Amino acid sequence: MATSDVQRHAQNGNGESDSFALSMIWPMVRAGLWGFTAYFAVAWITAMLAHTVIVNPLPATLGYVAGLIGWIMGSGIWEGWIRRAFGGEEAPALTGVERYFRFSSDPKATATRYVVFNIVAFLFAGLAAMMIRIQLLTPDSTKWWLSEIHYNQTFGIHGLMMLLAVAASVIVGGAGYYLLPLMLGVRNVVYPKLLGLSWWLLPPAAVAVFMSPLIGGFQTGWWGYPPLAQNSGSGIVFYALGAATLLTSSVLGAINVVGTIVYMRAKGMSLGRIPMFVWGLFAAATIMVVSAPATFTGTLMDLSDMILGSHFYTGPGGHPLAYDDQFWWLFHPEVYVFVLPAFAAWLEILPTAAQRPVFARNWAIAGILGITMIGPMVGVHHFFTAVSPARMPIFMTLTETISIPSGFVFLSALGTLWGGRLKLSSPALLCLMAMMNFLIGGLTGIFNADVPADLQLHNTYWVVAHFHYTILGSVIFTWLAVLYWWFPKVTGRMVNEAWAKFHAWWFFVFFNMTFLPMFYLGIDGMNRRIAVYLPYLHSVNFFVSISAFFLGAGFIIPGVNLLWSAFRGSKATQNPWGSKSLEWHSVSPTPYTVFPEGREVVVVGPNDNYAAGASEPFVWVPTTPGK
Amino acid sequence: MSTKKENLWKAFGGLVVIWVIGMPIGEYLAARLVHHWPLMGSLEAHITGDATTYLIWQAVALYVLVGTTIVYSAIRFSASRAPDAEPPPYQARSWTPFIVFWLGMSIAINLANTIYPGMVGLEQLWALQLNAKNPLVVDVTAQQWKWTFSYPKQGVTDVSQLVVPVGRPVEFVLRSKDVEHDFWVPAWGVKKDVIPNEIRHLYVTPTVLGSTATNPMIRVQCSLICGNGHPMMRAPVQVVTNKGFKAWVASNSF
Repeated sequence: MATSDVQRHAQNGNGESDSFALSMIWPMVRAGLWGFTAYFAVAWITAMLAHTVIVNPLPATLGYVAGLIGWIMGSGIWEGWIRRAFGGEEAPALTGVERYFRFSSDPKATATRYVVFNIVAFLFAGLAAMMIRIQLLTPDSTKWWLSEIHYNQTFGIHGLMMLLAVAASVIVGGAGYYLLPLMLGVRNVVYPKLLGLSWWLLPPAAVAVFMSPLIGGFQTGWWGYPPLAQNSGSGIVFYALGAATLLTSSVLGAINVVGTIVYMRAKGMSLGRIPMFVWGLFAAATIMVVSAPATFTGTLMDLSDMILGSHFYTGPGGHPLAYDDQFWWLFHPEVYVFVLPAFAAWLEILPTAAQRPVFARNWAIAGILGITMIGPMVGVHHFFTAVSPARMPIFMTLTETISIPSGFVFLSALGTLWGGRLKLSSPALLCLMAMMNFLIGGLTGIFNADVPADLQLHNTYWVVAHFHYTILGSVIFTWLAVLYWWFPKVTGRMVNEAWAKFHAWWFFVFFNMTFLPMFYLGIDGMNRRIAVYLPYLHSVNFFVSISAFFLGAGFIIPGVNLLWSAFRGSKATQNPWGSKSLEWHSVSPTPYTVFPEGREVVVVGPNDNYAAGASEPFVWVPTTPGK
Repeated sequence: MSTKKENLWKAFGGLVVIWVIGMPIGEYLAARLVHHWPLMGSLEAHITGDATTYLIWQAVALYVLVGTTIVYSAIRFSASRAPDAEPPPYQARSWTPFIVFWLGMSIAINLANTIYPGMVGLEQLWALQLNAKNPLVVDVTAQQWKWTFSYPKQGVTDVSQLVVPVGRPVEFVLRSKDVEHDFWVPAWGVKKDVIPNEIRHLYVTPTVLGSTATNPMIRVQCSLICGNGHPMMRAPVQVVTNKGFKAWVASNSF
């Protein structure tokens, strides 16, 4: 059913969506029922046929695949998409509240579900972090808290969930999929059903990873390095399958982002008029599409060594280092998947907040694209201590050059702020804090890129501090900014500004108190991933843990703020920030049909012209038939 | 309509004042960190340690310059300082001198870092390795979850503590019996992965006498996750005089 048919159907309806009824959540419940039933049925049958137990790797693998299929079928993909391929009828797309609880081809519903999923995943992975910091309150907490095995399982789950179930999709998924059509002036993405599927892959993956201790857990951390992967618990199977599923979800979204930007822009939107945020999404999506397959393959090969008896990396003929190359092939540029949409969000929010155009716009775009191109070439810097000397100069030099395009983003942001009239709303404040944190994160990255320094700092708490500054300190700060900034577009209400600002400062202070000392711990000889440490490291670890508890507790504030404000927040005007960008030209909350049938937008100017008396950059023309 | 145009050069003057105040403060704090640097107990540790401390001076300088600009801009150019709600008169989309300066500086710093501490540090480490005359060869076996050391030329086999003489290059030959590990003595400033089915070499010339008992940085610590015994996968180290080493060899060899 074409989107315009859906829109016509919706417009001919009563215009108001039905109020919420409990029966609307049935597909989600059915998905869970079919998913778990399929998992246990197939796992049990496999275990019987293989004369083994249900928690062993092969039954768990086949059970997971069956459970995944059952889950997505139950969500409505069968009647909403696949049945038509078998000659059946396609179920009509629903336009009311029900679409949030089932497979839907509406990117706004998908994006909303991404936000909810990300928040829940952040909560659980954050609780795992609290468990880690409780462990590290004292040099040896194994007698009263986690054993070494459980600690290892905990940081593996924490890392994998935070990276793939939070960072990879917070800005791209939650904001990107929602705003992409709105910013491009189109009604949907290029493959709506594929985008709808991408969300439904997330919950089984997350559940599998969190549940991995039930089948033996995995102790490798989020890397999954062999041969340890194959001898430290059957849970590695859920690690591999969960990671592969999350990557697939990302790629499905990435295909949509790239395809929509390349083929489906509004008339008049030349490359130079594509909004900055869209450039950030494009960069992230390109990286995913180009780099994900090689790492996906490596993950499956790691799984194969576990369940099929292959010896890619294991045994006397295996090559464990080959996995390192495959793993970091995507997972280095993955960090740019996290951060480029954040950079782009700064350059979307700050110009409006300062009422200035994006300074040196082409340089900013060049910076984003430069990072996209160099990023996939430098993965070896994650294992300088394992490679031959010949590889060290090449990858050191390439890695260090990334600082040049990264700098262009700061060049643009500084030039935008300079001479402006900055309204320091909570989103603008959070963007500035993210920039300050990224300064530390980015500058400390240079140490890791420099091989002599890295030979000492590798696998110490220096690295832990570095990546928390870049990911938690920049991406998550920007996530909050993005949520608060576009909250009025999605809900028609504003978040409570006072609480938002209070938490921003709470977050900034306790974040720095938690992670700045970790640089010192790394210099002082504390290596990563240890449940037990030597007593001389006690006092700093204690300070870090207490700071971390305050950091974690503070997240209750935005959680309550967002939830409460969605229903009781003060009503927003259509364009509360005074933005010139296209997404604010529709009413808020965004109706199902963003741009009604019969009218098209034509772009005639840039979306960041705040000069007094500037003309409107968008004009509306009637749709010409046959276009 | 605001007729008051911002004097941007005056604002920049204020920023320069902030830099002049902030830079000494930042570098003073950096100096305190460098002064309290942990033990550099080998020639290699001086190379890697100097690389790190140099980058700290540089990073602090850049943080002061860029960070204060962000904070200063947010305060100096805030809407609350302007009496009206009009957009700012400065609407330029570009300013070439700033862009050229930024581009030039970022390329220059990047080039400089590639040369020093990057390639210079690497060449120095490689030179130590290539010029090592008559290194003491120590076979290191890593396994879940202990370290075992053998000295083939001295006839010492399978001991669980690492004893080396001061001032002599040591060639560690690294092998793993099971999974990936990483051989690291924090005081010696370098580490190397130990990969199953492969052999790696790590060259260290210890320069400071000491032992794990006197300084916890002088310890072998596995630093690549290798299972539940990973945190405890340590070994005691002693850096002794040549005489002390001969005596130890005599009492531990066949």
